[in-house]
Amino acid sequence: MAIQPELDRVTRLSVEKHVEALRSGVHAWASGRLGEPSAMGDARWPAGLIIATWLQAETGTPPAGGPEHRVGRSGGGFDALDFAFLPPDRWLAPDAAFDLSIPLTHRPGARQLRIPIPWYGAGMSYGSISEQVMLARALVAERWQTFTSTGEGGYPLSLQPHREHVITQVATGMFGVREETILWAPIVEIKYAQGAKPGLGGHLLGDKATTSVAAMRGSVPWVSLFSPFPFHSVYSVEDHRKHIDWFRSINPDLLVSVKVSTPTDVDMVAVGSYYAGADVLQIDGAYGGTGAAPEIAKKNIALPIELALPRVHRFLESEGIRDEIVVMASGGVRTAWDIAKAVALGADGCVLGTTELVALGCTRCSNCERGRGCPFGLTTTDPELSALVDPQWGAERLDRLYRSFDLQLRGILRRLGLAKIRDLRGRTDLLRYVPGGVAGCSEPAHGPR
Amino acid sequence: MCPSARRIGRGEVTAPRPAFQRYAIPTDPAPDVVRVPPRFRVKVTKYRLAALAIGEVIHARGNMRVALSRPCMYGVFGRPVGGMAPIEDLCVACLRCTVEYPRVVRIVRNPARELLAVPGISADEVETLLYESRTGRVPVRGAGYRGPFGGSGWDGMWLDMSEIVRPTRDGIHGREHISTVVDIGERPPFLAFDAAGAPVGPLPRGRAISVPFLLGPAPADERADEVQDVLLEAARHLDTLALVPLPTILERGLAGPHVAPLVGAGDLSLLDRLPAPPVVVEIDGWDPIHHAAIAARFPDAILSVRVPLGSDAVALVRAGARVIHLVAPDWAAAAVSLPDDIRRTHLALVEAGVRDEVTLLGSGAVRVAEHVPKAIACGLDAVVLDVPLWVALQGRRREDPGAAGASAAVSWAFPRAGEEWAVRRVLNVAASWRDQLIEILGAMGLREVRRLRGELGRCMFQVDVEREALGGIDGYPA
Repeated sequence: MAIQPELDRVTRLSVEKHVEALRSGVHAWASGRLGEPSAMGDARWPAGLIIATWLQAETGTPPAGGPEHRVGRSGGGFDALDFAFLPPDRWLAPDAAFDLSIPLTHRPGARQLRIPIPWYGAGMSYGSISEQVMLARALVAERWQTFTSTGEGGYPLSLQPHREHVITQVATGMFGVREETILWAPIVEIKYAQGAKPGLGGHLLGDKATTSVAAMRGSVPWVSLFSPFPFHSVYSVEDHRKHIDWFRSINPDLLVSVKVSTPTDVDMVAVGSYYAGADVLQIDGAYGGTGAAPEIAKKNIALPIELALPRVHRFLESEGIRDEIVVMASGGVRTAWDIAKAVALGADGCVLGTTELVALGCTRCSNCERGRGCPFGLTTTDPELSALVDPQWGAERLDRLYRSFDLQLRGILRRLGLAKIRDLRGRTDLLRYVPGGVAGCSEPAHGPR
Repeated sequence: MCPSARRIGRGEVTAPRPAFQRYAIPTDPAPDVVRVPPRFRVKVTKYRLAALAIGEVIHARGNMRVALSRPCMYGVFGRPVGGMAPIEDLCVACLRCTVEYPRVVRIVRNPARELLAVPGISADEVETLLYESRTGRVPVRGAGYRGPFGGSGWDGMWLDMSEIVRPTRDGIHGREHISTVVDIGERPPFLAFDAAGAPVGPLPRGRAISVPFLLGPAPADERADEVQDVLLEAARHLDTLALVPLPTILERGLAGPHVAPLVGAGDLSLLDRLPAPPVVVEIDGWDPIHHAAIAARFPDAILSVRVPLGSDAVALVRAGARVIHLVAPDWAAAAVSLPDDIRRTHLALVEAGVRDEVTLLGSGAVRVAEHVPKAIACGLDAVVLDVPLWVALQGRRREDPGAAGASAAVSWAFPRAGEEWAVRRVLNVAASWRDQLIEILGAMGLREVRRLRGELGRCMFQVDVEREALGGIDGYPA
């Protein structure tokens, strides 16, 4: 690909050697023949779930009887929820027409964008991830007619050919935001807060603020970038409205997504966003995130998405505006089953970040922010490391992961007797709570093949 | 003219104003002196590595730089013999080596690391404390949260954040203006004045400390005196208080505004030997006679009473106590119940209408940085630190199975590394914890930690929010 950096011959040969070893290694681990790496995984992403995600990115189908691909072992939230499926005789036919599409606006007069699957890619900035990874995500978004987001770090020109599927994120540092990046965007995502570090603004540590990253952001190389928090121009719903008007004055056709975290009054925030004119409200729960964050912020500030969603959904319903705004859930949505559970808890769809990185080979070692960045070439802009990921290879893996998720969601709908994902929204009556967490794959995990 | 002097009236010059000095805790690297086992073991199958190396030399057609290019970017295979003698201390378990060469190298968690745990503090928490005490930094990592969904005690609560309300509009985060000062003392519910406008009756009395934590007394150890010196020196740097047993103060001739004598029931007669009146005195246990006697002996001192967690704080206040230090004697039990116990005490004082008149301190089961803001949000004014500091000093906990009482059975052995190193370690932990507290306050939009006290409306308890969110779902416990 054109964006692959120029490397000297020895480095290029070394990179080729490691690319080959990495791909064969990921394949070997995904095959299940080697078991699970014992130092891999954690409660939210156990080793089996990581391996299962790798496997889906290889095969395009969920593992049949292999590693657990639906839930983690955190003991709560999505991991303690299961579906109350209908008895098999009431399942829909395998060849029934399932509709997974969701609209991205309900506002009359707005550009009526619709995505055929109930998820799109989360904002991960250039600098926090490589351009190769951004391009891979854009390629798969285009293939599936959905979206990916630039994150707050500018808009690499390699994404421009796929601009109909790229969301421009505008966050508090305004890094890389230019008039043309607003003009190119079908959707602008205003990031007020993020789940991994609610109330703290983005962090890009100095080692990762390379020359190219700094150039894109209009900053000084090798100097840590801490986005301020919040927008110093927004202190009210009216200010928020003004922000949206600014963007629409540049590009009247765009939709506006508002990304917020999950404070106690997340329901009020949702209503405020609606009245400010947002088309999409992205609620980012506390347990997600891909970039560097203070450990104290990850676990202790703001609600997990599973607990925030019902609050928002019910409040919007009680205000009579639930069908006027699209609610997307993010922050700890890992699997197709998590997507379905989030929808049942009240979301319209989900936004995926970490899952896509795992599909590309991330082991969730949490060293993203350290030194040159990710050893797998994902969360880095180091020329040598980022060359480990070929965008086309990445897009193929993401495509197969999407296929697997699509298949699983259809299977879930089928067993719930629902033809449309939209009919699942807010149906907590179709969920079952399992204290302590859902254990393993005790039943067929997927429906139609 | 001195730039900080100012000209007033007809040109007379006042004395130079003292330059404003922003509170900061000095930090300096203080490496571990007791070797900490590596987090991970690197298991290399050497004959396979040899075969791999030969194969790669052939594959690279003798280009040794390519053939010997290694997967690890952290230097684990940085020795000339590479994987034959991996440097395990450098391994961060990125797993790239084992992903690339699964049949040659495996990374496993080091079981020896679990030995770092001490009762009430997990190995992971010890590891965090060691990092903080080595560096003074806030632990930062990528890839989101990795732990259980919730839990009991501190793990069963989340703090609020504010989408748009900020502590200040200054600075990139306004962090530098967030105050961590708290007051230890008492405030009357109202002031009374005589006809001339002079105040009559009780006035507010307090000692402001710059961080919402005090340092507890040194634990039992043959070198407890040295540790006590370290804590005292750290308290001086931090501008806080160190609680020191009265006999130790007398024996070692300690004095100063950062020393708070801890007076046991049998120590009353020793008080006369204090070289100077103390600012704060902590009395072990509640005895109204002792309390009155010490108040009479040191009328200007602030008296704190040290009582077990669960004591009736309202009754204590009605009996005259104004600073109450709640001590959780059993760490394991307190880890579960402490938030509820603090909350209950705080609310009882609110209900009695006396909360603003008194200071609540707490100790026990405050293990890591996040517990400080959570404890304050539940109702404490400040916490008293103990075991985390012994861990930071790389103390080893010892239990004497032959001893009778639980408290008598436990002692700590500290490495000989010099006072300077030890003070640095304590300051590093304090700096890291204060910075993390400021992260929380910034996220919550609070300008000072005093406003966090008892801010229960901005705490989200798992049991409550989960019931609200999931309560109607089949199978959710009634």
